[in-house]
Amino acid sequence: MKTFNKLALATALSVGFGACAIAEGIYAPNLTYRTGPFASTGIPLMDGQKDYMTLLNERDGGIGGVQINFEECETGYSTEKGVECYERTKADAVVTQPWSTGITLQVLPKTNTDMIPILAPGYGFSPMANGKVFKWAFNPPVSYWDGASMIVDFIADGDKGSLKGKKIVLLHLDHPFGKEPIPVLEAMAEAYDFELKLIPVGLKEMQNQSAQWLQIRRERPDNVIMWGWGAMNASAIAEAVKTKYPMDQFIGVWWAGHDADLKQVGEAGTGYKSISWSVPQSDAPMMADLKTHVLDAGKSTAEDPDSVFYQRGLVMSMFLAEGIAAAQAEFGVAEINPEQMRWGLENLNITDERLAELGMTGMVPPFSTSCSNHTGHSGAWMLEWDGEKFAPVSDLLMADAAFIEPLEMAESMAYAEANAPWPMNESCE
Amino acid sequence: MLYRTAGQFKTSYRADQALFPIKQDSFLLGIILICAWVVFPLTASEFTFQTILTPILIYSLAALGLNILTGFAGQLSLGTGAFMGVGAYACYKMITLMPWMNPVIAILLSGVFSAGVGVAFGIPSLRIKGFYLAIATLAAQFFLVWLFEKWSWLYNDNASGAIQVPNLDMFGLYVAGPQASSITQYYLVLIIVSLLTYVAINLTRGNLGRTWKATRDMDIAAELIGINLMKSKLTAFAVSSYIVGVSGALFVFMWRGAAEPNLFDIPLSFRVLFIAIIGGLGSIMGNYLGAILIVGLPVVLNTVPAALGIHIESALVEHLNIMIIGSLIIFFLIIEPHGLAQLWRLIREKLIIWPFPH
Repeated sequence: MKTFNKLALATALSVGFGACAIAEGIYAPNLTYRTGPFASTGIPLMDGQKDYMTLLNERDGGIGGVQINFEECETGYSTEKGVECYERTKADAVVTQPWSTGITLQVLPKTNTDMIPILAPGYGFSPMANGKVFKWAFNPPVSYWDGASMIVDFIADGDKGSLKGKKIVLLHLDHPFGKEPIPVLEAMAEAYDFELKLIPVGLKEMQNQSAQWLQIRRERPDNVIMWGWGAMNASAIAEAVKTKYPMDQFIGVWWAGHDADLKQVGEAGTGYKSISWSVPQSDAPMMADLKTHVLDAGKSTAEDPDSVFYQRGLVMSMFLAEGIAAAQAEFGVAEINPEQMRWGLENLNITDERLAELGMTGMVPPFSTSCSNHTGHSGAWMLEWDGEKFAPVSDLLMADAAFIEPLEMAESMAYAEANAPWPMNESCE
Repeated sequence: MLYRTAGQFKTSYRADQALFPIKQDSFLLGIILICAWVVFPLTASEFTFQTILTPILIYSLAALGLNILTGFAGQLSLGTGAFMGVGAYACYKMITLMPWMNPVIAILLSGVFSAGVGVAFGIPSLRIKGFYLAIATLAAQFFLVWLFEKWSWLYNDNASGAIQVPNLDMFGLYVAGPQASSITQYYLVLIIVSLLTYVAINLTRGNLGRTWKATRDMDIAAELIGINLMKSKLTAFAVSSYIVGVSGALFVFMWRGAAEPNLFDIPLSFRVLFIAIIGGLGSIMGNYLGAILIVGLPVVLNTVPAALGIHIESALVEHLNIMIIGSLIIFFLIIEPHGLAQLWRLIREKLIIWPFPH
């Protein structure tokens, strides 16, 4: 009886309530992780995302006159919870923001049948750029492969010949996310004749990297590239300081440029670099609006609104808001559906003029997406830690498209083949 | 009154030894089966299938496998997650190497591989017991997860290091992969879980089960009455790992759709162990009760605030959820240390003699 009662109760509850998350306005859920092992890096980003939407709701009354219901569903970075959140929200949502490579991998194959766009700004699976194969997935403005290419470009300083004979270490999380740049870096090592050494950091060893740094000290690499996340970054930076590795040869991906990680080493971290497709601009007009309408109005939980991650969160929500606005303009309806949202994300056109209108000049490079290009390949800046904050030290770097495109093509086709029958978006040329 | 057993006479040994000698028990089981086979599939939403029904069944099966080893044969194991991984990877390799293979056969065969690995790691149990054996199985856990990460042949040299379930069809109907519908997958899981549960009930009641229980209760005494300890322990490892392996294959192929190596890491082993302990060691039904508490209840709790119209931050709900489930686990273990199955047994006993307790 007990089994039955519990099962019946469980079913009754979920049948009744599972579908009742009906939202007013446009429902754009975010699968957050404010709990769990990655919470410290997740919170500022998710605060930024939420606050930008709050700003639009407060200042402009939403987008096109419709409020945005930017609800959060907590995953704690667990794929199991992520799928639960996805299933719970997908009925009414116009978009899904999976927020972890693991959850993205899980949700990606379902999008063709569920017909709901995935927005994964700056993360996810690099071949998602090929819109012909991944009709429903978007990862603007740059992919991990772009990032790897730009970092190598920065190291070469414009002269790829100078890479010959160099030794570069990739310190990466031993996880789908950390393995993302390997195909590009391996291809580049072969083409430009530098030595690539992979040093993985297991999920369990994130906070104890003495073995890895001992190896780095022995290898004496010219550069260390870090593909890390969460607790791994803070430990790596602390270890680098401890082993006296020259910080100006140490470059991280955009997720390894969290202010709080460097604040703990402060001055000692001077020279550490992180490639980033967003730059904090605390005196931008949008930030002033944000201050009056959201921060000072007590509608935010943000702790450090000047940090790179918080402002990156703002930029991410801007992509979504622009997509919604584009879809509304194209279809002439205020309450768009997922199909129209997809069109909007596919026709993002973030120009310098548009950024100026939004009051976000310089926060993100201009880019546009299209049917066949779901990333936009905007390029990025190199940021450097000056002991107190991150500041850009390079011009806009661009990824080596000649390198990336064939790889994107091959990998995305391999994905489609492995998941046959996989519908292609034949409307792209 | 409801559970009155008066008047239910048994006239043969066969009837006396039946699985459910009391009429009300078979009646209850009938209701549960009708619910599982007819009512739930007809009424459940996609969300319910994906987050409650299918996972509860799969976790119950994994706990059942562990329970045979730990609850019935008394061999503590901390490697369940890794053995599930062996099943999942074996199934993945079979499906990708032999695409013509029937998915259900592949899933059932994948258990054979984990049974083999389980027996290999069970060999230390012949010499060591208790916590020491737990350490040996912990070694299996770490070694196997390391292997899933490093041996790229296992995931077909995929750049991301994860395995992804392709679209598999059976007689024109998709049963796994993104194209498969939840209801098909649910029925397949239900068929396999029911079948293995039936086998497990009969195994544990039979000769083999008695051998296991004797080994668990006192191995020296068991040896003295002529039980071959090696055979008893290794069969327990084999049967247990087989079931765990099948549950691992179901876990990835019928539910998750994709898996990375660290999915099979120690938290999964602990989760299954908790289900088995809270459900009740040495019981079959306990695994289902435990899975409902640990897998199903958090999902239901998560929907409560929204359903009541209370607006709370999602992160706060998650924190509350962890606290509630944690206190429930402690509560149940205090009122009945032998698990939920024993709790039900006591309730049933009381119901039978009600309203005249002695």
